[in-house]
Amino acid sequence: MTTDTARGPVIAGLGITETGKVYGRSAADFAADAVRRAADDAGLTLSDIDGLLTSSGVMPGVGLSLQTELGLRDLRLLSEMQAYGSTAGGMVQYAAMAVRAGMAEAVACVFADAPLKEKTSAGALYSGAGLGTSGWMGLTAAAGMISATPQYAVAARRHMDTYGTTSEQLAHIAVAQRAWAGMNPRAQFHDPITVEDHQASRLIAEPLHLLDCCLVSNGGVAVIVTTAERAAHLRKPPVHLLGWAQAHPGYPMNRDSDLGLVSGAAQAGPAALKMAGVTIEDVDVAELYDCYTFTVLLTLEDYGFCAKGEGGAFAASGALAPGGSLPVNTGGGQLSSYYLWGMTPLSEAVIQARGEAGERQVSRHDVVLVSGNGGCFAHHSTLVLSPHARA
Amino acid sequence: MTVPVIHRDTATEVFFDSTARGELLIRHCADCGAHAAPQSGACPVCQNPVTAWAAAAGTGTVVAWTAVHGRPGDGAPASEAVSALIELTEGPWLYAPLRNLGPGERPWTGMSVVVAFERPEGGEAIPVFRPTV
Repeated sequence: MTTDTARGPVIAGLGITETGKVYGRSAADFAADAVRRAADDAGLTLSDIDGLLTSSGVMPGVGLSLQTELGLRDLRLLSEMQAYGSTAGGMVQYAAMAVRAGMAEAVACVFADAPLKEKTSAGALYSGAGLGTSGWMGLTAAAGMISATPQYAVAARRHMDTYGTTSEQLAHIAVAQRAWAGMNPRAQFHDPITVEDHQASRLIAEPLHLLDCCLVSNGGVAVIVTTAERAAHLRKPPVHLLGWAQAHPGYPMNRDSDLGLVSGAAQAGPAALKMAGVTIEDVDVAELYDCYTFTVLLTLEDYGFCAKGEGGAFAASGALAPGGSLPVNTGGGQLSSYYLWGMTPLSEAVIQARGEAGERQVSRHDVVLVSGNGGCFAHHSTLVLSPHARA
Repeated sequence: MTVPVIHRDTATEVFFDSTARGELLIRHCADCGAHAAPQSGACPVCQNPVTAWAAAAGTGTVVAWTAVHGRPGDGAPASEAVSALIELTEGPWLYAPLRNLGPGERPWTGMSVVVAFERPEGGEAIPVFRPTV
């Protein structure tokens, strides 16, 4: 190995706790559990971990105190990060740069959340999340933007009015992902759904139906980022981080905004692919952040899997489903498997890249593209993963 | 359907003083003359800090919209609240509730709207929009 390849960043460990309606455990508890599982998966002990990046969801507690919770000594890297749904990808990016630079050898990146409580509706948990009743945020809430859902609904409506995208086309994304979820033992939903089921599901915020929306889950996921050199002697085959990028559009609140039409994926995708030395045609599997079906549609267009405005037709062609030309969200995604923000697509990407996905394993998995999305298309992260080091 | 009770903070004092008078304020860039949304800290054109306010005409068009559905209650139908992203005539965008629509009636992109104000008991006056007659 040359020094450059030797210090090439890889994901060497993946830890997924119990997910879904798992009650009575705190987010911090899930986070510690996830890190222990990831270390064990990699064949590392906790004392091998010298870097820790943490990320909270709606419930606080996954922060710097996790070091104490896990008894980690002499860390060389420690931060709590927040870029909403793009954080998981971001944590991996910063960890990759840290190990490449020699700042740390094994960095655990963890997200955990525990919003679900017994006998409380999932929707109520996220309604008003992050919004206050005062100031500008209060004004936005008073306008009816009481959660992320109406904001994404407005964005989806704009795409529909501009390009003719339909609710039935969005339904195909939900249907395809449920078909994948049927083969994922970890998924919260397994029963197949149809376009008609989607259309009949209740409207949450027009044009979005219930089956356009992600579920809510408790749980935690951690990955261990280390160097190719170190991973060569570890338990699991390394998943190489070939390319990465972020994009934060900073949409102005005026007529120049691309909200609903173009997301940060349009910049981050090509940049990450270029770093990886591959093109969009080389991508075998895409694990895309899917808080809503529309998020997947816009990301597909912006990454260049289809032309701008043709995401609806592309989804309706069946391309994303098992047996289709582009396997997307092969574990069921946030819509049907588990909702752990950016860790949902990232965890499935690692599983597919390793070839550990069992019944749902795709045959070609040399290049796996992962997206993260935060705010209402305000923050984007892209990762390009591969079981092979860069040629 | 009424707007919820919202309170002012330091950053919104001038804005809510104006809504109480029945006036919609937006930001105005003293350097390049561009208009910006009321919550903007920087001019969208030249990025200089925007500190000046300007009265908006109160007219605009619908950029996109949604109708948020509540859960049906005991015997009561589910509520539907129509909200829109409004492009003011001056250019800035604002999320706002849409009023004066009939039952089941929906707006459309490009629909002309005009501002009105609602003041819930104990809260600030909130801009809402209704179709231009």
